[in-house]
Amino acid sequence: MRANFILSEVWIGLRRNLTMTIAVIVTVAVAMALLGVGLMINAQVGLMKTFWSDKVEVSVYLCKKDSPFPTCKATPKGVSAAERGQLQQQLGALPQVAQVLFEDQAMAFENFKKTQSANSILAQVVEAKDLPESLRVKLKDPEQYQAVIDAAKGMKGVSTVIDQRAQLENFFGMLEKLRYAALAVALILVLAAILLIGNTVRLSAFNRRRETGIMRLVGASNLYIQLPFVMEGMIAGLIGGVVAAIMLIVAKVFLFEGTTSAFAVNSQLGWDSVAEVITLTMVIGVVICVLASFVTLRRYLRV
Amino acid sequence: MIHFDNVTKVYANQNRPALDHVSVDVDKGEFVFLVGPSGSGKSTFLRLILKEEKPNSGAIHVAGKDLARLSNFKVPHLRRRIGCVFQDFRLLPNKNVYENVAFALEVIGKPRRFIRKVVPEVIELVGLEGKAHRMPDELSGGEQQRVAMARAFVNRPMILLADEPTGNIDPATSIGIMKVLDRINRTGTTVVMATHDAAIVDSMRKRVVELEDGKIVRDQSRGVYGQAY
Repeated sequence: MRANFILSEVWIGLRRNLTMTIAVIVTVAVAMALLGVGLMINAQVGLMKTFWSDKVEVSVYLCKKDSPFPTCKATPKGVSAAERGQLQQQLGALPQVAQVLFEDQAMAFENFKKTQSANSILAQVVEAKDLPESLRVKLKDPEQYQAVIDAAKGMKGVSTVIDQRAQLENFFGMLEKLRYAALAVALILVLAAILLIGNTVRLSAFNRRRETGIMRLVGASNLYIQLPFVMEGMIAGLIGGVVAAIMLIVAKVFLFEGTTSAFAVNSQLGWDSVAEVITLTMVIGVVICVLASFVTLRRYLRV
Repeated sequence: MIHFDNVTKVYANQNRPALDHVSVDVDKGEFVFLVGPSGSGKSTFLRLILKEEKPNSGAIHVAGKDLARLSNFKVPHLRRRIGCVFQDFRLLPNKNVYENVAFALEVIGKPRRFIRKVVPEVIELVGLEGKAHRMPDELSGGEQQRVAMARAFVNRPMILLADEPTGNIDPATSIGIMKVLDRINRTGTTVVMATHDAAIVDSMRKRVVELEDGKIVRDQSRGVYGQAY
């Protein structure tokens, strides 16, 4: 095996098919970048879900005096301490519930001030007595919220039940759709890349049919004949992978860090998982290119 | 060296066989002319020896190997022991004479030192000394065919197959080509040459195998092109 000889053949092939090679590189780069973004969204959603599931609780708001909610008609004077204790006990007895905490108006006001500090006018107008008391229900398994909500809604003295999770679900649902969109486009581009590589290799094989014909004739082994073509595909795939890696790093810095800091400070995707995604996409890119070259060669370089 | 036993070859989409129950033996060191009109099966005969085609029935042995049992993986090794020359030379236009001949050795992974030693020897054998650095388009047809013969012979094959090597060359130059083939034959290489050139066959007085419609109609030692009545 003469490395020099094969490398010079590879170089000749890449140069002769420059435009096709560039097309392959661009397609592979975009396909792999989208695949990587899909994987990164996946990892991000997982991270955020675990981060949030600790904090998510079901808020059971209690009826105040003269509460306008129709469910509060039965308790026009608001929920008494005894009724509250009963509610707390009922909720605590549910098998899905881990803990029930009471949040009185003063605590609710503290929380309100914290979350609405940006909105100073609202913070000035609202007083502690305007805010409802609530029971904060922590769940054993955050996925099991529906049964708790249904049970709490039917209880006497409950005005509304708000599941923070349901609100987060919307956000996660959007991320999930984004991920599927990225993966779907990536899949289409991978198909395009395979066809393009097939075409490039076919052109390359056609350009060099004299050489390969003579190689066959004088008894060059299949490996020797096919290796330059496969390596052309591999190099194009590798360059495409490098470009994809750069795109993914840019995406991580500008897209993921930008958006995640707005939602959850502690759930940022680490560089280690980005490195993992990059390695994976590069390997996939190169493997796709090599396989596509190889399969095409089987058809166009018969022995 | 080459042994055909009742070989039949029918190409796909054709009802008439290209070779029809052909049995023939070529011994080591022989020089055989394969004659017959176009479409009589000469090229098929040569392609079968190279295992570029597989016969529909019958057995072929080349250099002691049963081709039916030879795995695809080993076909390149068979071809290294067989040199080939064609009517259209099949040189690489962007390589000079030396590089064209060296190419045959490079692609089978021979060391550079070996290539530097044997290529000039073969170029001299075919009578192209001093022209090693010419490009193919600077050479006459006869000279180009000599390059092709040098390339076919540089790996010292046991068999040399020539498919109408003088087909594109004028009669005077053809004599020179035949002299090179004869020289190669004298080194002990078996030569099988398919040709239409009656003058050459008549002048060489070698064994002649005549094919017609895929059948051997004549096998004559020291024969001539036309039927000797």
